[in-house]
Amino acid sequence: MSVGTLFKHLAPFLACLGLLVVWQAASLVLHNDSFPTAIEAIRAIPSILGDKEALFNFAASLRRMAIGFGAAVVVSIPLGLLMGRSRHVASFFNPLLMVIYPVPKAALMPIIMMWLGVGDVAKTLVIFLGVSLPVIYHSFEGAKAVEEKMLWSGAAMGLSSLQRMIRIVLPAALPDILTGCRTGLVLALITMITSEMIARQSGAGNILFNALDMGQYDTVFAMIVVVGAMGIVFDALFEALRTRLVRWSEPPFEIPLSFS
Amino acid sequence: MSVIRSRSDLEAEAAPALRRTVAMIEIDRVSQVFQTSTRQDHLALSDISLTVNDGAFVSILGPSGCGKSTLLYIVGGFVQPTRGTARVKGKAITGPGPDRGPVFQEFALFPWKSVLGNVMYGPRQQGVTYSEADAQSRALIEMVGLKGFEDFYPKELSGGMKQRVALARTLAYHPEVLLMDEPFGALDAHTRTRLQNDLLEIWERDRKTVLFVTHSVDEAVFLSDRVVVMTRSPGRIRQIIDIDLPRPRRRTELLLDPHYQKYVVDIERMFDDAGERELRP
Repeated sequence: MSVGTLFKHLAPFLACLGLLVVWQAASLVLHNDSFPTAIEAIRAIPSILGDKEALFNFAASLRRMAIGFGAAVVVSIPLGLLMGRSRHVASFFNPLLMVIYPVPKAALMPIIMMWLGVGDVAKTLVIFLGVSLPVIYHSFEGAKAVEEKMLWSGAAMGLSSLQRMIRIVLPAALPDILTGCRTGLVLALITMITSEMIARQSGAGNILFNALDMGQYDTVFAMIVVVGAMGIVFDALFEALRTRLVRWSEPPFEIPLSFS
Repeated sequence: MSVIRSRSDLEAEAAPALRRTVAMIEIDRVSQVFQTSTRQDHLALSDISLTVNDGAFVSILGPSGCGKSTLLYIVGGFVQPTRGTARVKGKAITGPGPDRGPVFQEFALFPWKSVLGNVMYGPRQQGVTYSEADAQSRALIEMVGLKGFEDFYPKELSGGMKQRVALARTLAYHPEVLLMDEPFGALDAHTRTRLQNDLLEIWERDRKTVLFVTHSVDEAVFLSDRVVVMTRSPGRIRQIIDIDLPRPRRRTELLLDPHYQKYVVDIERMFDDAGERELRP
C-alpha cells in the first residue's frame, strides 16, 4: 500500500483524533466544571456501555429507529417514484410536502405526544416523519430524471407500466434514492435523540438528558461521543451497501466521503 | 445468422416472389398537433400517408424540426397521432410492442445492466429461458463486434459501442420492424461511417423492415431502398425517391458511382431550392 492510499484510509481517523486533541486542550484551558476533558468523557464510556439498564435503553432507541426508518423508506420510495412519473400525483402531494418540509419534526413532538402518549408510537412516528421527506424528495427527483426513451425501450419489449416502474424507474433512480436514504439515516438518529429528549421515558436521549439534569457532565459528553460514533458507524455501513448497489453509476474516481 | 431470423423472414424464403408486395407499415393521413409552452397549437406533421413494404429499408430525410422523429414515434406507438391512423401488418397501432424495435440517438441503454444484461433483457421479458437468452445474446454481441465486452457497463463504453449494444438489444427480441431514430447522429464521422457499413451488413443478412430517420443525405442514399424527403414545419412529404443502386453496397465503391452522386446532388438541390440551408454543412 502506498503512502497516498494509506493516508486516504487513515484520514478520517486522524480527523477524529485531531478533534479529540482540540477538545482536550480547550477543556484544560477553559477549566469549566460543565466541560470535562476528552479523556474524562471517554473514560466514562465503558461504565455506560457496561450498564444493563443503559444497554436496554439503547436497544429501545435502536428498535424505534429501525422501525421508523424502515417504515419511512418502504412508504416514501414508492410515493416519490409515483410523484416523479405522474404529474397528477406530484401536484397533489407536492404542496402537502412543502408545508411539512420546513417544520422541525421534533417540534411536532408535543402535539403527537398529546395524541399518542409518550411511548414508542409517538417517537417512532417522529422518526418516520424525519426520514420520509428526504427519501421522498430524492426518489421524486430520481424518477423525474429517468430518460423517457429508456421507458419506451422497455415498453417495446413488452413491459407493462407497473413493470416499467419496478424494473426501470426503480433501478434507474436508485442512486438518487440511496442518497435520500443516507440523509434519512442521519436524520433518523437525530430525531431519535430529540424525540427522547422531549418524551423522557426511555432511550439513549433519556440517559443523556438525565445525566445533564444531575450534572454528570462526563456522562453527558460520553453519550455525545457514543451517539456520534453510532452515526459514523451507521453511515459507513450504509455507504458500503450503497456503493455495492450502484457501482454501475459511480464515476471512475473515488473520494473518501466516509469511513468505509 | 439464425439468431436474428424473424418469422416473416422464413415465410419470405418459402415464397420469395410475394415478399416485396406485403405492406408492413401503413401510415394513413396522419397529422400531429403539439401544444407549445405558450399554449399555441403547433402543427408538426400534416397529412402524411406512407406505405413501407416488408423487407424494405426506408429513410425519412428532413431538416431538424420537420417532425420526422415524431412520425417514427407514432409508428412505434409511443405517441398517439392527433388525426389519422398508423397500422402495422394491417392492425391499427395502439401502443408499443415487440414487433417494432426502436433504436434511439440517445442509446437509452439500461445503465445498471451489463452489455450482456442489456441484450438479454428483451428475450427474458418474452419468456425465453436464461440459457437460451444468454447464448443468443452472446452471438448477437459478437455480431455487432463487441465480443469480449459482455460484462462491461454502459458507462464504460464509447458512443459507437453503446449504439452497437442498443442495436443488439433491439435485434435480440426479433422485432419485425426496426425503428431507427437518427441512430448515428451523436457519433463522430469515422464511427458513424463504420456503423453505417456494419448496419448494412447485418441488415443484408435477414432484411428486416427498417424505418430510418436521418438528416444526412449521404446516409439516407447509402442505406436505403427509398428515401422519403420531408418539408420543414409543418412536416409534409415532399417527394419519395426510389434508390436504385445494387446491393450489397460498398461505401468506397458508391462514392465513385455517378448514380449515387446524382441521387445525393438531386436531393441536396431539392433542399436548396426551398432555401432550407440547414441541411448543408
